[in-house]
Amino acid sequence: MNLGEGVQFVSFIVLAVMMIGAALGVVLFEKIVYSAFLLGAVFMSIAGLYVLQNADFVAAAQILIYVGAVNVLILFAIMLVNKKEDYVPVAGRWIRKAAAAFVSAGLFALLTTMLLRTDWKIDLSVPLPSLPIEVMGEHFFSDFLLPFELASVLLLMALIGAVVLARKETIMGEETAIVGETPAPVLELPERPREPVA
Amino acid sequence: MLKFLNKVGDYAKESVQAAKYIGQGLSVTFDHMRRRPITVQYPYEKLIPSERFRGRIHFEFDKCISCEVCVRVCPINLPVVDWEFNKELKKKQLKHYSIDFGVCIFCANCVEYCPTNCLSVTEEYELSTFDRHELNFDSVAMGRLPYKVTDDPMVTPIREFAYLPEGVIDGHDLPSDRQRAGQRPEEIAKENTPSSSGSAS
Amino acid sequence: MNPGIDLQQRFTETLTSFNIPSGAAKAIWMPVPMLLMIFGATVGVLVSVWLERKISAAAQQRIGPEFIGPLGILAPVADGIKLIFKEDVVPANSDPWLFTLGPAIVVIPVFLSYLIVPFGENLLVSNVGIGIFLWISLSSIVPIGLLMSGYSSNNKYSLLGGLRAAAQSISYEIPLALAVLAIAMMSNSLSTVDIVEQQSGYGILGWNVWRQPIGLLLFWVSALAECERIPFDLPEAEEEIVAGYQTEYSGMKFALFYLGSYVNLVLSSLLVAVLYFGGWDFPIPIEQLAKLLHISPDNPILQVATASLGITMTLLKAYFFLFLAILMRWTVPRVRIDQLLDLGWKFLLPVGLVNLLVTAGLKLAFPFAFGG
Repeated sequence: MNLGEGVQFVSFIVLAVMMIGAALGVVLFEKIVYSAFLLGAVFMSIAGLYVLQNADFVAAAQILIYVGAVNVLILFAIMLVNKKEDYVPVAGRWIRKAAAAFVSAGLFALLTTMLLRTDWKIDLSVPLPSLPIEVMGEHFFSDFLLPFELASVLLLMALIGAVVLARKETIMGEETAIVGETPAPVLELPERPREPVA
Repeated sequence: MLKFLNKVGDYAKESVQAAKYIGQGLSVTFDHMRRRPITVQYPYEKLIPSERFRGRIHFEFDKCISCEVCVRVCPINLPVVDWEFNKELKKKQLKHYSIDFGVCIFCANCVEYCPTNCLSVTEEYELSTFDRHELNFDSVAMGRLPYKVTDDPMVTPIREFAYLPEGVIDGHDLPSDRQRAGQRPEEIAKENTPSSSGSAS
Repeated sequence: MNPGIDLQQRFTETLTSFNIPSGAAKAIWMPVPMLLMIFGATVGVLVSVWLERKISAAAQQRIGPEFIGPLGILAPVADGIKLIFKEDVVPANSDPWLFTLGPAIVVIPVFLSYLIVPFGENLLVSNVGIGIFLWISLSSIVPIGLLMSGYSSNNKYSLLGGLRAAAQSISYEIPLALAVLAIAMMSNSLSTVDIVEQQSGYGILGWNVWRQPIGLLLFWVSALAECERIPFDLPEAEEEIVAGYQTEYSGMKFALFYLGSYVNLVLSSLLVAVLYFGGWDFPIPIEQLAKLLHISPDNPILQVATASLGITMTLLKAYFFLFLAILMRWTVPRVRIDQLLDLGWKFLLPVGLVNLLVTAGLKLAFPFAFGG
């Protein structure tokens, strides 16, 4: 084992342990903020694994999209929501628990069989592409065109949905407080009733 | 369509205008960088206080007649005048006089109203102490004259705005022979005496 | 193109000549660029802090630091030493783990981004293929650290500052990436070395400024916003929210934030120089001159001269932009949060998209000028 392989092996172990530990933390922590931060750690370790596999573009994209955007938005949502709710015992909770256990077990079984069935040998005779980005781009615009476009349509839908949800039209310049009547709440503009989006 | 294009044009125009104004602002800031710093590096350089500067108050013990006018005109009755009536001389005799400069607001009303001119203002303003009670000056402390800025060999005196020649706004690097704006008092006096010059008409 | 100086090879060769096995020599070499990077970045910060104080003073007709070393050049060092020895206060009811982790997460990606800044053809820590994209993705980690420190401080101003910082950071990353994308499209590569290479050869005229003036503006505005410099310093707007996410920090943790912000500023200036002003490229083509004077490109003196000239040129260009940022600080007032987001989403983003489209069109129409 030379220096490069040793470094690779050690970093693989470190990254794997970090990823599994952080993933367990995401599930097990009581505080939701910790879970969110650990989710970022999980994404980072996955990016590290990508780097170990010489997929540096994918790693950078992983960090940019998952850590930089998705995780930040999750954190944003957590920090902006300031609502404390007590847990109410739900009737028939065991059904949910059983269903969750079933799904998890099924998923685990599926992935285990996939791991055992797959032939992990890599065909080393095929040379690595010199510019992986160009190859990826070509794939995106040829055989993976449909998923690529579908993803963009999905994002567009999410964008428009967010605009519709966040839109708040206020009525400006209308007399609301009349002497003798109950005054309108201060510091808040009356909101125009929203028509249902057809 | 035309309306939309107009809107776009207006927006572009406003953006260009904003950029122009930011550029103007930058040029102003940039221009300031080549100006000489107006900083007076205090313990090494000091401004010469102006003629009307109202600093710490000077007191001459022997002139005081203990009339207590200073106390009456003081906004907070600050001066402490300790006197005793001397029956032999039939005069008030001053025993002690003090002003607490930690409380004084340096309005110099006392100086204004003192009938015997025993009070006067000095140009001293360096009144920092470790204990505020040290600012309670007695007649001896008030009788001291401050060190003049121009006499101090450690200090470079910088002329204040009132002493600067016409058109000059910075006291640094001024030759000492440049006269301040306007006439000096003796020149005004010379002009106003009719017999000597005959120019007054 | 001549290979220039290969420091790594020289270093390992020297070590192997002392009977050290080549593997060990490589292992000794490994930390050298990293340490050099950290050291260089820190020195760059010290210089820029000093410049900031001096230029600010000059813009306000003051003198600035004067007695700490010649011209006050040691003032930032004194600041740093003071911060190191200061007590490390962790506020009550805060979350000590996140509170400690926050500054580290803010600083590390910024330092890592120095990997891709080239000072010469071989004078960079690593010529990774994804180059400038690495910087963009690394700088997207920073808001996590800001949110972390804002949340864990147990202080509403800190939380507000952290949220503002994160919002600002993720909204200005998009125009920044769009501006970089236009450059990458013209040079057919994300690697910073290729980007500079593509600009060199025609002196000043070859620089990307002339082809991407709007891109430069976009990049600079978004970079200022990413660095939280005035006019975009809302996350630490002291008149509104004390010091934002830094409110509760003191000592070395605060120093990390401070260091991080200046490292980021220097980095952004360096990248402006690299992306738009030809990096290490000197307006006079040295190599052609050498060829005219019949000096071989392997001449060690020539190589050292070109390398030092390259470093000087990069730093000069970068510090010009740093100067501009400082000047900007004393010229423009702070924008409001809604103005900030308006500028980011309603102005810079559409302009960036149009810029990208126009660049693509120009590239197809005039491939000789826009890197076909």
